Amino acid sequence: MAKFWKQFLSGIVITNPLFVLALGLCPALAVSVTVTNGIGMSLATAFVLLGSAIVVSSIKNFVPNIVRIPIFIVVIASFVTIADLTLKAFIPTLADSLGIFLPLIVVNCIIMGRAEAFGSKHPVHLAIADALGAAVGFAIAMIIISFLREVLGTGQLAFKVVPYFDIHLFTLPVLGTSPMALFILPPGAFLLIGLLLALFRRLGVLKSE
Amino acid sequence: MKDKLGQYYPILALTVVVFISVAVLSGMDSFTRDTIQYQKELKIQRMLNQLFPEMSAYDFDESTEIYTITADDTKIGYAFLGVGVGYGGNIDIVVGLENKTTLRGIAVIAHAETPGLGDKILLPDFTDKFVGLDISEVNLTRDGGKVDAITGATISSRAVVDGVRAAAMEKAKLIPD
Repeated sequence: MAKFWKQFLSGIVITNPLFVLALGLCPALAVSVTVTNGIGMSLATAFVLLGSAIVVSSIKNFVPNIVRIPIFIVVIASFVTIADLTLKAFIPTLADSLGIFLPLIVVNCIIMGRAEAFGSKHPVHLAIADALGAAVGFAIAMIIISFLREVLGTGQLAFKVVPYFDIHLFTLPVLGTSPMALFILPPGAFLLIGLLLALFRRLGVLKSE
Repeated sequence: MKDKLGQYYPILALTVVVFISVAVLSGMDSFTRDTIQYQKELKIQRMLNQLFPEMSAYDFDESTEIYTITADDTKIGYAFLGVGVGYGGNIDIVVGLENKTTLRGIAVIAHAETPGLGDKILLPDFTDKFVGLDISEVNLTRDGGKVDAITGATISSRAVVDGVRAAAMEKAKLIPD
């Protein structure tokens, strides 16, 4: 059990997929425009990470080494398709705003990376811990980035999941009328992620000392 | 088993995995297909409702791609999709006509314009200017029409105007008298 928690926590802090490993930057930059999108993307990624970790580590003894990559990709792609169809059927607004980046989770290197580097070599319960750690680490990073981008870039915070579930949390006094649109645009995402990466590096260095 | 099959084992393993995946996904597809179809129809209905709040039913003609809107069994208008080429890609617009010449209104349903500038094409301040216009008047004021361009977003404004006019001109001919 100690090993389980150690593996789980390592995914959040020491090997945080976004801030430390710098994996999965493409979906992070593209969809982190609103907190709703950030959470949606994190949940879809978490589902795929967890599902593929369980399957990959349970079938690892039957998988011949030379075709392991194609097999892992088929497993991952199946989970992505399940997530895609489910979102389209039950939360279509979110599926629309994630757009092409939902099916593109297939090529998110976090998932293939964790399956290949960890899931294929460890027992199921540790693979689950690793996947959960990476998923929570990714989610925390996504929420920080999308929160800063939505608040700075639009001056307000709102959750729009389905047309009838539309919560407007707050509008900032000055930013609300003249928001810094830069942060909604791709350069703002690069700036923010760069600064956050630097911050996490610094924290990591402090910790190791 | 691995040893008996030798060099064929990788082929067998991959085939089995793919078959299982296909089985799971086709099950998933038949489970969600109806709901996805229903969501699509709901989306169309909501979009048409924006332009025709009193709508009670609509009918879609596949050959002309025109939605005919009825309220209590009387025809009240027509709607169809238009596309404008904006600053950030295509802008999808639903156009409503009251008859062959008069616009009921427009609504932008998908776009990739710059947030804070071009995305003002979504606001009623802009879309309300189309209400009641004759198709021939759909142009920017500076180009001799009756729609004022959004300050700082001329390209996006012109894209919407051009998309609406092109679609309206084309589809108006197809509307039965």
